[in-house]
Amino acid sequence: NILTVCFSVGYSAVALNHVIDFKEKKQEIIKPVSPSELFPSLPIVQGTSKRIKVLTRLTLIVSDPSHCNLLRSTSANIRLYDIIAVFPKTEKLFHIACTTLDVDLVCINVTEKLPFYFRRPPVNMAIDRGIYFELLYTPAIKDSTMRRYTISNAISLMQICKGKNVVISSAAERPLELRGPYDVANLGLLFGLSESEAKAAVSTNCRATMLHGETRKSACGVVYTVKKPRKVEEEETAVPACKKAKTQA
Amino acid sequence: ELPDGGARPNAAQFKQLVVTALRELHGEVGAALPVDVLTYEEKTLSAILRVISSGLVKLWSALTLLGFYQNRRCAFRVLQTSPFLLALSGNSRELIL
Repeated sequence: NILTVCFSVGYSAVALNHVIDFKEKKQEIIKPVSPSELFPSLPIVQGTSKRIKVLTRLTLIVSDPSHCNLLRSTSANIRLYDIIAVFPKTEKLFHIACTTLDVDLVCINVTEKLPFYFRRPPVNMAIDRGIYFELLYTPAIKDSTMRRYTISNAISLMQICKGKNVVISSAAERPLELRGPYDVANLGLLFGLSESEAKAAVSTNCRATMLHGETRKSACGVVYTVKKPRKVEEEETAVPACKKAKTQA
Repeated sequence: ELPDGGARPNAAQFKQLVVTALRELHGEVGAALPVDVLTYEEKTLSAILRVISSGLVKLWSALTLLGFYQNRRCAFRVLQTSPFLLALSGNSRELIL
C-alpha cells in the first residue's frame, strides 16, 4: 500500500526496513521478505522505462558493544539483506561504527536530544570509508517536539561533516507520511545543506549506499559500466582539418 | 491529500491551513510571508499558490512538514514549482527532446 504511493510519487528504488532492537533477550535475524512475494510485477518508474527496485534493509539498534558481534558472525540471514544500518546509542559505539564496523549506513537519532556530540575524527573516517549518515524526516511530520530535535541534530551533524555523505530517508509507516523526492530535497536545505548537496542526499548518495551494500556482499568491488555511443569517426575527421589549417597558415 | 471521509476544506480554510503550517515551522515571521492562493479546486484538493521567490524554501518546507489538519492526518504533495505560470501546464520532467 505504501509502496504503491511511492511509485506514484516518483521514487525509483525503495528499501524495506527491518528493525532489530537488542534490549530484548533473544533476537534472531529473520529472513527478509523477498520483494517478489509482495508484487507479482513491479510497476515502471514514472518518466523512465525501468522498473522500480525494491531492496531489503536491516537496522540494528546497538546500545552495547557485544551487540556488534552479530555483524561479524557468519549468520547466513544477515547476508541476505541488501543494506545494513546501525543505530548507535553511545559515543563509543558511534566511534566503533564509523571506524571498524562493516555497515553501509549510520543512523542519527532524531527523536531525542543526542547524548553525545559529534567529533571530527570518527566522522572523517566514516566519510573516507564510504559510510553515509542517515536522517529520518517522518518524526518531523508527526510531532512538533521531534521536529525541533530533528532540525537541531541535523544542523549539528552538518557542522561537523560539512554536508558530505548524508542521506535523508523516511521511516514512513503509512502512505500519508511519505513525501516526494523534491520535497525531501527541500528539507535538506532546511537542515543546512547547499542545494546540490540536498539533491544529492536524495539521489546520488542513496545510489552510492546501494552500491556500497553490493560491494560488501561481493569480495572486492563493484564496477558499473554504461554503454556510450561511438564517437570515433568524428574525431578522425576533425584531425585532418586541423592539419590543413596549419599548412595554409 | 486527506484520508477518505470528513469535510473538505474550502478556499478560506485552505489559506488558513497554509498560514498555520508556516506559523508552526517558521513562527510569526513565517506566517507573515505573503502567500496567494491563485486557484483552488475542492474536488481534487489541488491548488496553485504564489509566493515571492525568496520565500519559496520556507513555504515548501512548511507544507512538506505539515502533518495534521483538524486532528486528521494529511499530506501535501507539491506537484510542480516554476517561476512562470505557463510552465505549470506541462510536466518538464518527462520532456523528450
